[in-house]
Amino acid sequence: MGADNTNTAEKPRLLRLFIDFIGFGLTTFGGGWSLIPQMQELYVEKRQNIAQAELLDLTSVARSLPGMVVTNISFLFGYHLRGLAGAFVCLTGIVLPPVLLMLLLACCYDIFCANPQVFAALQGIRAAVVPIILSAALALLKGAFRYPLCYAVLALSFLLYSFVGLNCFLIIVIGILCGLLISWYYFKHGAGEAK
Amino acid sequence: MALPELFLSFLLIGFTSFGGTSMIPLVNGEMLSHGWMTAEQVADIVAIAEMTPGPLGLNCATFAGMRVAGLGGALAASLGVVFPSFSLCLLAAVCFEAFKSSRIMEWLMTGVRPACIGLVFGVMFAMALSTYLAPEGGVELTSLLIGLLDGVLLLRFKVGVPAVIILSAVLGLLFF
Repeated sequence: MGADNTNTAEKPRLLRLFIDFIGFGLTTFGGGWSLIPQMQELYVEKRQNIAQAELLDLTSVARSLPGMVVTNISFLFGYHLRGLAGAFVCLTGIVLPPVLLMLLLACCYDIFCANPQVFAALQGIRAAVVPIILSAALALLKGAFRYPLCYAVLALSFLLYSFVGLNCFLIIVIGILCGLLISWYYFKHGAGEAK
Repeated sequence: MALPELFLSFLLIGFTSFGGTSMIPLVNGEMLSHGWMTAEQVADIVAIAEMTPGPLGLNCATFAGMRVAGLGGALAASLGVVFPSFSLCLLAAVCFEAFKSSRIMEWLMTGVRPACIGLVFGVMFAMALSTYLAPEGGVELTSLLIGLLDGVLLLRFKVGVPAVIILSAVLGLLFF
């Protein structure tokens, strides 16, 4: 962008954002945790489109909302820079590559499975899924809970799912109610309100 | 009438989870209860989604939608799972300042997180039973050994997920 001496950095063009986010869409493996450092490097350090603290605020709001963190951040970031159009451009950009790739894979899945070699390899991969989920779940546990009572909600949810066979959505509603009670209790007693 | 059902299913999944692994139990439940996929296929998608870029929930939605109802299904399911990002994020973006300091979302998510992680452990338990136990009784020794090796590599030696998946595929080729 040449010699741009204004101290308010120029807003990036929509096409630029779209291309950037297609790039992110191609390279965010294993969830959103690789997206934030990439955005930090490009938009905070290189182009100075957004201040570090603002990006952190966006990230924490994106994490506090339901839904996928990656798409939430993309939407909020796009909106922050270029309003509604920016939000849609960033969201579409980050979503496009994985969607196209999965469409292709879904079409080839049956052909792959019919091949005995691929089938054997898939059986090996299936054996890996449980330890992969275990390590991801343990990572989720790190710093996820503000109150120790949340572990009781976790145990309750596990028991209701595995031994009572309740529907997942119902269990989450029960979890929300427990969470509200816990938050209210700690709020009343003035503990844990770290701000 | 698969399209509205796919959309609604993934809409619910999107609104009640917080991304990543927390979506697996919901996806698993919806796929099995609608008869859209078998438990093995769900395990396959989880593995495929781990190897490809993009959020797990979106990958599952596109894959499942495509298999159930073709291109339209993929679109319906993907829109469903991304919908919270349109709606709630728009709301949050418009009143960002109010949102940043509000406790409501935080209070709501206080219970969602542990409940989702509890479900993840539940699904993992069920998947472990179906993967490592033979249907006619006894243990699937090859699968169990591959799984144990992967667990040690992931948890003890911090090996990355893609490397572990490739190793398991090679072991599967050699021993199944």
